[in-house]
Amino acid sequence: MNESYPKENLARKKVFRRLLSYTKPHKKQLAFAFLILFLATGADLLGPYIAKVFIDDYLTPRHFAWQSLTGLGIIFVLLYIGTALFHYLQIINFQTVALKIIQQLRVDVFNKVQHLGLSFFDKTPGGSLISRITNDTEAIKELFVTVLATLVQSSVMLIGIFIAMFALNVKVASFCLILLPLLFVLMYGYKKLSAVVFRTTREKLSQLNARLNESLQGMTIIQAMRQEKRLRKEFGKTNGEHNHASLKSIKLNSLLLRPAVQVLYVLGLVLVLGFFGVRSFDSVISIGVIYAFVNYLDRFFEPVNSMMQQLTHFQQATVSAERVFGLLDETEMAPTKIGNSASSIQEGKIEFKNVTFSYDGKTDVLKNISFVANPGETVALVGHTGSGKSSIINLLMRFYPIEKGDITIDGTSLKAFSDEELRKNIGLVLQDPFIFAGDVKSNIRLNNRNISDEQIVEAAKFVQADSFIEKLPKTYDEPIGERGSTFSSGQRQLLSFARTMAIDPRILVLDEATANVDTETEEAIQTALAKMREGRTTIAIAHRLSTIQDADQILVLHKGEIVERGTHQELLAFKGLYHKMYLLQQGEVAS
Amino acid sequence: MKVFIDLMWYFRQEKAKYIWGIVLLMCSSFMSMVPPFIVGVIVDDIRLHTLTSGSLFKWLSILIISGFAAYGFGYGWRMLIFGSSMNLAKLLRDRLFGHFTKMTSHFYSKRRIGDLMAHSTNDIRAVQEAAGDGILMLVDSITMGAMVIVAMAAIIDWRLTIIALIPMPFMAWAISHYGNLLHKNFHDAQAAFSELNDRVQENVSGVRVIKAFGEEQAEKENFRVQSADVVAKNIKVAKVDALFDPTITFFVGLSYFLTLVFGAIFVVHDSITIGELTSFSLYLGQLVWPMLAFGILFNIVERGRASYDRIRQLLKVKPDIVDRPNALAKVPSGDIAYRIETFRYTEDTPVVLKNIAFDLKQGQTIGIVGKTGSGKSTLVKLLLREMDCQAGDILIGGTSIYDYKMSSLRQAIGYVPQDHFLFSATVAENIAFAKPDATLEEIYEAAKLANIHEDILAFKEGYDTVVGERGVTMSGGQKQRVSIARALLINPEILILDDSLSAVDARTEEAILEALKRNRQNKTTFITAHRLSAIQHADIIIVLENGEIIEHGTHAELMAEDHWYRAMFRRQQLESFVVQGGISS
Repeated sequence: MNESYPKENLARKKVFRRLLSYTKPHKKQLAFAFLILFLATGADLLGPYIAKVFIDDYLTPRHFAWQSLTGLGIIFVLLYIGTALFHYLQIINFQTVALKIIQQLRVDVFNKVQHLGLSFFDKTPGGSLISRITNDTEAIKELFVTVLATLVQSSVMLIGIFIAMFALNVKVASFCLILLPLLFVLMYGYKKLSAVVFRTTREKLSQLNARLNESLQGMTIIQAMRQEKRLRKEFGKTNGEHNHASLKSIKLNSLLLRPAVQVLYVLGLVLVLGFFGVRSFDSVISIGVIYAFVNYLDRFFEPVNSMMQQLTHFQQATVSAERVFGLLDETEMAPTKIGNSASSIQEGKIEFKNVTFSYDGKTDVLKNISFVANPGETVALVGHTGSGKSSIINLLMRFYPIEKGDITIDGTSLKAFSDEELRKNIGLVLQDPFIFAGDVKSNIRLNNRNISDEQIVEAAKFVQADSFIEKLPKTYDEPIGERGSTFSSGQRQLLSFARTMAIDPRILVLDEATANVDTETEEAIQTALAKMREGRTTIAIAHRLSTIQDADQILVLHKGEIVERGTHQELLAFKGLYHKMYLLQQGEVAS
Repeated sequence: MKVFIDLMWYFRQEKAKYIWGIVLLMCSSFMSMVPPFIVGVIVDDIRLHTLTSGSLFKWLSILIISGFAAYGFGYGWRMLIFGSSMNLAKLLRDRLFGHFTKMTSHFYSKRRIGDLMAHSTNDIRAVQEAAGDGILMLVDSITMGAMVIVAMAAIIDWRLTIIALIPMPFMAWAISHYGNLLHKNFHDAQAAFSELNDRVQENVSGVRVIKAFGEEQAEKENFRVQSADVVAKNIKVAKVDALFDPTITFFVGLSYFLTLVFGAIFVVHDSITIGELTSFSLYLGQLVWPMLAFGILFNIVERGRASYDRIRQLLKVKPDIVDRPNALAKVPSGDIAYRIETFRYTEDTPVVLKNIAFDLKQGQTIGIVGKTGSGKSTLVKLLLREMDCQAGDILIGGTSIYDYKMSSLRQAIGYVPQDHFLFSATVAENIAFAKPDATLEEIYEAAKLANIHEDILAFKEGYDTVVGERGVTMSGGQKQRVSIARALLINPEILILDDSLSAVDARTEEAILEALKRNRQNKTTFITAHRLSAIQHADIIIVLENGEIIEHGTHAELMAEDHWYRAMFRRQQLESFVVQGGISS
């Protein structure tokens, strides 16, 4: 732990520098914000100085030149109005820049994720990915919006106060510099100690919440197995630990934050009063200077308090930033076009040539797969789970890069097509039809502005989805909730069929669902599937006998290899598996 | 301020801590009266050249002592008041958790876990703030405010005090007003952020569709627009948030201005000295905080009240399934008889089960099949008393299950639910969930019965492997078998397998059923299933449709009839051929 620490620190510095590089596009606005901040601080700090002038030049000598006094008064009030105004503008400007930076960071990381390969998604839990795009960037937002802003504003204020003090009296001001190392020690000590304490508190809190969340989810089991009492005790224990940790952080805050800063303030006062007091024994002291000094000291410690409070958030944000940059630096990209030939898909002839594939580079899930699907033909893939059916589809969709062998479409390697050409011509129907929040229309159109409303209705009619859509209160504009939960699984499938038909692809890739649906919907699905295949080259993971029976070629897969292949008739004559299935089906029809 | 009355029971309970805390807080406030006073005295002494080294030393010593005393008092009241508020949070959290363990599925079906979590985190935090910061601000705004004003009026000049105070109420009002505004805007910003979160979630879950349809660019554009909306909402927050400091600066500045102008007049008329004017301006600085506190107090108290009301509402819900008076503490045993007339979840929902009557001899196995939503799960959950049946009864050994104590009833039952939920703990702890003091042998035995022993040994850390997000990710089939082992560990007389073999392959299913048969002599088993092979060998099979029994008999009997069961059995046989490509693995 100790050994890795300096390295970690170094990495943190790098992360921080990288974060700061995001401010570059906002140079102008930032410069403006700083300018106003300086103005605001300056105006703020001029107040006590004017009071000093008033006391020393007019009040003490009882010299009342009304004209200049009115002028002084007006300046005084104007300064405060100016301070308020400048401060307001300054804060808004800093915040706007900070928020824009975070948006940029968010957009960057989101865009990055869009182009990551599926292999990356396979091994990264969705939850952690989402949390990097939203929660971690939110933590960085805190860094920019609160932490950095406070640090910048407070430092400028502190420097300003010192400048003002030096302008008033160099000797006392340099005396007050003694406070700085004390302050630094206090801050450093607090930062060090609080890092540990706050980390445990946060950990305990997340444990507490995790326990609660889990217990709520598993309450049925807890009750069925009569473990309520034990779980209550365990929760109470974690709750107690959290309480203990929080108490520690209160203790730390009480010892080192405000009360300690207050002591420093008193020390500062003793310094200033002591100095002027001793000097007064042998010389005349300007009362106005004391007034101003005491006032400046009074203001000195509020920025200190705010800075110290923000220190702890700093580390948290850098950890988040590390995670976000880690994702931005990810190299596992989705396969894309290689070379710059402008190939296009015309006929839709698919050929697999000796394709061997492995997800992890160790075990081959596909071994030497070769087959041809001629334009308009249907190839049905059958085989049990893990036989490699899905991998064939994943490769054809170019979700994963092919390392051995090749896949060609119309004689051209899959690698040579642009993304757009592939997506336009290959329509995928997934087993689990993913429904987006929105309405029916938007789920069929999917952001593709080239698809008109008429085409949407046409597509829905084509796959027989229109009958249920028409029955919805708002038909095609019917809003769809979370994951389309208001629709039955059959309806969701029909909707996803319509989505695919709306782009009218040359090639259809089907991953048939096995879900039990009611008879009426099942009929609609079967009719739709048959119509969709018509005139399209189709590669299907088939579960329905109707699909298999109509296929021009059936490939039986086992452990990544094709063990049986042929047409309906050929396999029937072969008297193997297909024959067996056929007989069974005949039996069902007869009974 | 109603929340303080609502929380009075706690303040009473922690009387000593709160009283001492408030006393120390007041002492600490009093200590902060000292420096301005001393400044005034010294300034005047310097001006009049009456300051001696002796008096200077005396005053500075007092100043230092007051500083350290304030430190001690400050530490003390913080620990007492904030500490107590934290204990209140702990207490409420424990109460809520205890309450949650008494609530039934009816309660949980009406509420989302996210909301319950929010009550236990955000609402408790708001109450904690009211009991901590709220008290601090109440006390400080009253006592410190009063002390400063008294000091200014009594020591210096009451007329000047009134004049200097004129802008302060406006400031307090403005701050309180901003607080409300901020709360609303903040809420909008949070909502926008959570929408953004939803979109990202959707994007990540739907990654295949997005890639297949080449939606990446559109998704990026949507995200850009939506994240810009988040920025806009946050800027709105910032615009209110940014008002606080400048407003304070402005009003305080105004007070200083009034002080200087009128103070000067008083100095000229010799009503006050310049030293007094200096201490006055320092006191004025100390008045800012109590005024601010007064403004913030209203927001904290308001939020605390709303949150505490929500928590109380939640705690008020009575558990809807409880023991009857004089319920039997004996563990039920014997034949089971279902005599359900009708069952519905609530009075305004449709009937879920109707005329369910069957008898099950001790040691028999019953298979319950039917379409999704036909009532299979409900039927077995009634036995567990997850819900209570209003019309009808279920008897074990001739006694109604409602006459037993719930804990006795459940002691007789091993339950494997549909959603194989495991806790984030080790595999061994999960299996021993119902009996935490089980020996390793017992755990192994249960795991072997559930056909998961070998799988567990294959994990790197064997039985100590942690399950869940931070540990190993198990397949659905493995999770199902662990949860079967969990139910078998207590060796229950009645075992319920609620569609719990759906994710294991045919061979494993057979092995588990075989092991159950061998090891559960004289013990009763309920199995609900979609796959008929799981119940094919049961002593009794019932087929449910829309909550009614439509077929009833053994496998052979049902196959002889030409109804749903036979058709389904055939179809599934066929499907398994297709899925497996006819190759027996």
